Amino acid sequence: MRDPDRLLQPTRRHFLGSTALGLGALAMAELLSAPARAGGPRPRARRVIYLFQAGGPSQFETFDPKPRLRADHGRPLPDSVRAGQRLTGMSANQAILPLAGSFTDFARHGRAGIDVSDLLPYTARIADELCIVRSMHTEAINHDPAITFFCTGSEIAGRPSMGSWLSYGLGSANANLPAFIVLVSKDAARDQPLYARLWGSGFLPSEHQGVQFRAGKEPVLYLTNPEGVSPHARRAMLDALARLNADQAAAELDPEISARMAQAEMAYRMQASVPEVTGLADEDDDTFELYGSASRTPGTYAANCILARRLAERGVRFIQLFHQGWDQHGGLPAGIRKQCEQTDQASAALVVDLKRRGLLDETLVVWGGEFGRTAYCQGRMSPGDYGRDHHPRCFSMWMAGGGLKRGIIHGRTDDYGYNILEGGVHVHDLHATLLHLLGIDHEQLTYRFQGRDYRLTDVFGKVVHALIA
Amino acid sequence: MLRPGAAIPLLLLAACGRESAAPLPGAASAAPGAGRDRPHWAFVPPEVAPRPPLRRADWCRDELDRYVLARIEAAGLAPSPEADRATLLRRVSLALTGLPPAPEEVDAFAADPAADAYERRVDALLASPRYGERMAVDWLDAARFADTYGYQADWECRVWPWRDWVIAAFNRNQPYDQFVRQQLAGDLLPDADAGTRLATAFNRLHRQTNEGGSIDAEFRQEYVSDRVHTFGTTFLGLTVECARCHDHKFDPVSQEEYYSLCAFFSSIDEAGTYPYSTGATPRPAMRLPSPAQATDLALAEARLHTAERDCEAQRAARLPAFRAWLDAPPALAVASARARFALDGGVEGPTGDATRLDGDSGPSFPDLPAFRRCDPYSLVFWMLCPDRKARATVVHTSTFTIESDQQGYQVLLKDGRLCWEVIHLWPGSAAAVATVDEFPLGRWVQVAVTYDGSSRAAGLRVFLDGAPAPVETVRDQLDGPATVRSFQVGFRDRDVGFQDGRVDDLQLFDRCLSAVEVAELQRSGALAEAVARAARGEEVPGLLDFFLASDAPACAAAAALRQARAAHQDLLEAVPEIMVMEESRYPRAASVLTRGRYDQPDHARPVRADRAIDALLPFDAAWPRDRRGLAEWLTSPRNPLTARVEVNRLWSLCFGRGLVPTQENFGRRGEPPAQPEVLDLLAHDFVAGGWDIKAMLRRIVLSATFRQASAASPALLERDPANQLLARGPSYRLSGEALRDQALAASGLLVERLGGPSVRPWQPAGLWEDAGATGAYQPDTGDGAHRRSLYTYRKRTAPPPALLVFDAGSREQCLARRAPTNTPLQALVCLNDPVFFECAQALARRAAREAGPQPRSRVERAFRLLASRPPRAAEMAALLELYQAQEVELAADPAAARAILGADPPDPALAALALVCSTLLASDAVVTSR
Repeated sequence: MRDPDRLLQPTRRHFLGSTALGLGALAMAELLSAPARAGGPRPRARRVIYLFQAGGPSQFETFDPKPRLRADHGRPLPDSVRAGQRLTGMSANQAILPLAGSFTDFARHGRAGIDVSDLLPYTARIADELCIVRSMHTEAINHDPAITFFCTGSEIAGRPSMGSWLSYGLGSANANLPAFIVLVSKDAARDQPLYARLWGSGFLPSEHQGVQFRAGKEPVLYLTNPEGVSPHARRAMLDALARLNADQAAAELDPEISARMAQAEMAYRMQASVPEVTGLADEDDDTFELYGSASRTPGTYAANCILARRLAERGVRFIQLFHQGWDQHGGLPAGIRKQCEQTDQASAALVVDLKRRGLLDETLVVWGGEFGRTAYCQGRMSPGDYGRDHHPRCFSMWMAGGGLKRGIIHGRTDDYGYNILEGGVHVHDLHATLLHLLGIDHEQLTYRFQGRDYRLTDVFGKVVHALIA
Repeated sequence: MLRPGAAIPLLLLAACGRESAAPLPGAASAAPGAGRDRPHWAFVPPEVAPRPPLRRADWCRDELDRYVLARIEAAGLAPSPEADRATLLRRVSLALTGLPPAPEEVDAFAADPAADAYERRVDALLASPRYGERMAVDWLDAARFADTYGYQADWECRVWPWRDWVIAAFNRNQPYDQFVRQQLAGDLLPDADAGTRLATAFNRLHRQTNEGGSIDAEFRQEYVSDRVHTFGTTFLGLTVECARCHDHKFDPVSQEEYYSLCAFFSSIDEAGTYPYSTGATPRPAMRLPSPAQATDLALAEARLHTAERDCEAQRAARLPAFRAWLDAPPALAVASARARFALDGGVEGPTGDATRLDGDSGPSFPDLPAFRRCDPYSLVFWMLCPDRKARATVVHTSTFTIESDQQGYQVLLKDGRLCWEVIHLWPGSAAAVATVDEFPLGRWVQVAVTYDGSSRAAGLRVFLDGAPAPVETVRDQLDGPATVRSFQVGFRDRDVGFQDGRVDDLQLFDRCLSAVEVAELQRSGALAEAVARAARGEEVPGLLDFFLASDAPACAAAAALRQARAAHQDLLEAVPEIMVMEESRYPRAASVLTRGRYDQPDHARPVRADRAIDALLPFDAAWPRDRRGLAEWLTSPRNPLTARVEVNRLWSLCFGRGLVPTQENFGRRGEPPAQPEVLDLLAHDFVAGGWDIKAMLRRIVLSATFRQASAASPALLERDPANQLLARGPSYRLSGEALRDQALAASGLLVERLGGPSVRPWQPAGLWEDAGATGAYQPDTGDGAHRRSLYTYRKRTAPPPALLVFDAGSREQCLARRAPTNTPLQALVCLNDPVFFECAQALARRAAREAGPQPRSRVERAFRLLASRPPRAAEMAALLELYQAQEVELAADPAAARAILGADPPDPALAALALVCSTLLASDAVVTSR
């Protein structure tokens, strides 16, 4: 079946003109290309920037202070708290599970007095923008299933990723860039791998798969002309190609041929638009200072945050950053300090920058990992050093921007940070809420594969209205 | 493709809903007779429909054409004319071999007046070794074949010999029922051999994890489920996975049936994780010796048997000497230990200072003498167990922590019983025993465990306080290295330690201690008493062994046996292994899992491997209750789906689209066939004709339906845009593999060599590193750069990027059909991928070499090499214009010309021709099969 989006393309180009990418034009383009919204909730945001902190950041050293753990430091986790819940094979067999108090202090920030750890001074400064969820929970307790679950709504490989669903549901707002772009930090510790599946399109058509933009001379694979082939020569080649295909189309009457011609032209436009957006040369010094000095080095988390903003400005639907290195089974104090130093300033700067450009209201920024960490120490505890195992039953994330409440903490965990007391937000709920904010009813965004109508949220998910302004 | 908000209402919840799902509104695709009361078309065996009346019966070449023509005529249309010979030969060559014909073959075919000219071409294509390679591509997708385990760490697994088995099976035209039977149950067939056992690797190609902390039982169930899903999708076109959590909502698959299917596939002795540190091949596995290795092994085995017999013979031969020795025994003593560890830790023990363990730490002894599994050894130590242990590690030698990393020897407490184990890979390659009685609690016990170097459970003995303890065999299948260099006492990282246990005085012997020596170690004087008793004529177990241990002729025989074992193991362990299926001797009970959860077995609903899907075909009482029986069920002529699914796959291979377009789903929610009569005719004849794959393909491509030109008329396009009526020939975009192979073949770069290890052609640098994957991708520089794409190394977490752009999956799960897309990245690959550009360069050189200096003849040659037909005037004009304009530009820019050609001299004409070839590689005439 022909893609309705593509059928509409000439119309959209007509509205957009060749360069006009102003918001009015964008809105019109979205109206034209957003069947997913028909009858859906009122859209509050147009796009998502998802700052994925891979490995599982500890909630105890970031957003969920637990004085009790300091008081009970070294004492075993009470059985009544664990209540027989499963542990990973890494700590399930430990003779004792000693509680580990956080090495870092917390202070209250912003008008609402939001607790933020001392490791995150820049994030603390945007406390009034943050919608912090302390009551996230998930199913899986190992990285691969957990991160796959977060990114695709299923632990099973082969399901479409969040961004692919959005690309499928909302289409692209920029004819010259993919709708779903992935940026992986080059400066992160590669403790746990990432995989193409996390931004794969699963059973959705591959045009919806995330396109990874990489630092270096070829930001998109195969984007660069072979050596010696000038843009001028490429244009001539494409003109010849168009004539070949036009002749073939006349002979065969196959609509696929004209679609292929259009795709070749879009490829050509991408060759210009991608380097334009990935080159940060036109950013001013103030901006680099805002994001931190690492932002001058392409491929760093900080540089990727700037790039994310640039992509957001150009209407990319889903921009997903991955920053690895949060898997502190041991040596947590030193490890998480480094992680925070790499990401804190730029994450906060992104929110500030979006806000000052008037984009925050229509952009959802999400920060978080695939699970949290245990209240108890994994392995040996020594004075000043400890590690934490994976913990799926509660962990913290933050969001900011389009349609969300600002300066709030949602959900509450017990004194040990082990179980949720109120306001639990499951991964499916988060997905449902993100879709809702984008104007999509998560139960309506379906795709039939193998005879089943699949959703990002499977048969689960509730919109968490408490988060929505 | 359905979008929310599109014309078809999609109000239902996800179809697999655990909540109630409404009946399908507007479920136009739910097939005629979708009601629960009437059987779904696909669940009743195919029958040949009556011959339809036809106006133009002379058009038909095959029975199938009659049904096609009947529908065309009923629609008031006419079939399209036959495609021109060049197009037809290209179409059939790509379908059957995945490669385009050479221009000379096209010319010969075009000039061949014989009536059977086309048939002979088809026969030649089917006889080509390239046929098996092309057929394998689709099968590898279904079998989720890859060169790595997948999941997180995604290390290499060596399964390519199975891929070569597939290619060979297609090339020798193995009948489909055999092909299926061998892959499902090749280990269980009456005529099982190495080849049929290798075929069963099909069931082991699912992903596996070795991520730290993974729960073994959880992933073992994932693997079993993956086998069942692959079975359902590949052979039956059914999504059985819905029934993992509840009865299937739409198709007649109950949850009991799902877990019964699981039982067929869970009966192997596998681990839920693959090893992190030992490099062992997951079990069950088979070895694939080269012919030379097989010869050497046979010899070594013969020597081993001789040495065993010699050793046994010595026991009898030395009896007189033993009796003489009894009469005049020399000084009796137990030879000292090879190493002794006092285990002093500040608590009182039987030999003074002892160690109390906390369960999370304990003594470690690195750099011990290396024992192999051909070496006898013994451990003697004191231990005090304070309470009944469900599990506790007492002594072990493994270097890492997940269960499948346990290697060497270990003493554990499991369910209160003492276990003594020698392990290559747990549980599939180990010799292990456990005491029948629970270990005494609350008092010091001297434990002695001995191993005789035989790799057998019978060679493992346990003694408590000097007396032999009765044991049961837990595992007896040690067949790989279990070399030991170090050990730890009382703990193992991530395992349950010997909390509050005490240990003292551990001695390590490089011999298999005899019972009398163990007794002597327990109580001084026991040995002398034993000799005295024996001298009185009593039977004293172990005394002969003690004697033989210091008897020169017996020692010589034992040394020879050890030598023979070492030599045999050296050879054996150098032979590559591959995972296969093999029924376990240690079956696990199976039951329905509540909500599909591995940790929630419903013991009230036990299941056995005794039924498949009853609504399709009841399981015959005569069939064995194992995978062989399941294969019988599947390949029974009465199974309504097996033949339909396969002929549909073959049809799709020729037409780019199945008669049932949802190849992966023949269930109620799949798309029904637009030509059910054709499907059923072919399915019926496929079975009747002995499941002959080549014959079926031959029949399809010889049909008048297949031979039609693909061009549409405006009326036809309007009337039948998706070509469901088949009133025109097939057209489809080539797969990523076929596109690259075609470019390599046309440019003369293709290295045609069948099989072997996967190869690593060029891909953009840094992708594996970006993924944090282990190691960097090192592209091959020799032949490996230009082999056919099915040999390209498939890393599941970082699949070959250009193939991914053309909809090849990641091989993380069974894929019955690739979704054909049309994206900008595809144009970028054709134009910019250095692999394609290298082909453009080589093609330009070839065209220049073969066609002389004239631009027109060069362009024509290149066009024909790629597209098989000569260019039309408009095409020639466009290409010539490009050629000539670029030649002028490049004459002024030798650096660009040099760069384009990748070499000197900077011939501007040749460089311009390379740009022409590059352009062609992205053009419809090349990218699409018509």
